[in-house]
Amino acid sequence: MRVRAIGNLAILAATVALSYGMQVTKPHYADLTAPVPIDGAMHDWVRARSFDVRLDKIVFAHTLKSDRFGTSKILTTSGVWAVVTTSLTATSTSTTVADGIWQGPTGLRYRVTERLGYRSDLPPHDVDPGLEKRGLYVFEVPADQIRGASLLIAARRFAPLDAQARIRLDAVPVGADGQPADILPEYDLDAPPAPGKT
Amino acid sequence: MSELPPRTEATTPQAERTWRRRGLAALVLLLPLTLAEASHDSVREWLHGEDLIARDVDFGQSVPFGGSDWKLADLRGGKAGRLPDNAFAVIATFSVTVGDPDLQKKWLGCKLMLTDAAGRRWLPDVISGVSVPDGVVNCTSAIFSGARKGDVITVGDTFIVPENAVKTIRPAIGLGSERPWYLRFQRPPK
Repeated sequence: MRVRAIGNLAILAATVALSYGMQVTKPHYADLTAPVPIDGAMHDWVRARSFDVRLDKIVFAHTLKSDRFGTSKILTTSGVWAVVTTSLTATSTSTTVADGIWQGPTGLRYRVTERLGYRSDLPPHDVDPGLEKRGLYVFEVPADQIRGASLLIAARRFAPLDAQARIRLDAVPVGADGQPADILPEYDLDAPPAPGKT
Repeated sequence: MSELPPRTEATTPQAERTWRRRGLAALVLLLPLTLAEASHDSVREWLHGEDLIARDVDFGQSVPFGGSDWKLADLRGGKAGRLPDNAFAVIATFSVTVGDPDLQKKWLGCKLMLTDAAGRRWLPDVISGVSVPDGVVNCTSAIFSGARKGDVITVGDTFIVPENAVKTIRPAIGLGSERPWYLRFQRPPK
């Protein structure tokens, strides 16, 4: 009788330990339904579910210049401006590509800046099948978040289990201090793109 | 008084064993049914939000859809306005005879599209320098136009399609009250 009671207690203890273990190791719902990353490199097409994206160019600058309603706006930052130029196209149906995240080497995430206000070349980008479109993503990031960073592009900000393009920014030339090799003093968003320069 | 024999497989009454087997067999049916019931609403909502099944319409034919009669009026394309190099501007217009005037309910989620032979779909785009002809309204404006039964309205929109799709594009229309069915029209004869 006594052996049986000890046995029951042991089973109870094991059940409690197992349940607690399952509880503390349970993934968060947001992780279970997180976007599905599709990895790619700079200058290659990355094929997500509803759109294709290719990262063409990254420019770093200390200040940004943007023309709005006939007046120029100069934006400064204590970090660095990263202006990412992409080519986008829809896979099968006209769609919108709205979300862009700069993920630093330690996992810190920076969303596209909202300081520029509305511009037609900033997200959300309307894209059509068979038609390539240039789309900009502008980020304001600390200088130490550039080496080993990734660009995450998704159709929507909240898109459970939808595809998310994850492009490694390993082709960015960085100096010994981890800062980009060339940071422009100023970048004009409205200057016509220089042909052939990457 | 005699003692009860211990319960073993051999001594379990026949009726009990039959019911146990029936219970297990019922699971095969009940589990899928439970799944179906639990996902029923989501499936229905998804079906009502997607243009999945095409109903083909010949050119010149008028077809009742969402309480009104739809007919392809015109499909024209060309190089116009500010467009990328390999792209064409296309304007599709439909002549619609209003039947049920409750368009806000019947035409909710109205979507004009172009489809090609490969199954790709284009939604309306704004093209600077290109606009629909006078008297043509887009779907959303039509819904709030206050049209009455018997009125004939011309619904249309502008699209940008790549050059390689122009030869096979066909206009299509989807309405919230008719999904998952949508109308796909034959092109006008050359």
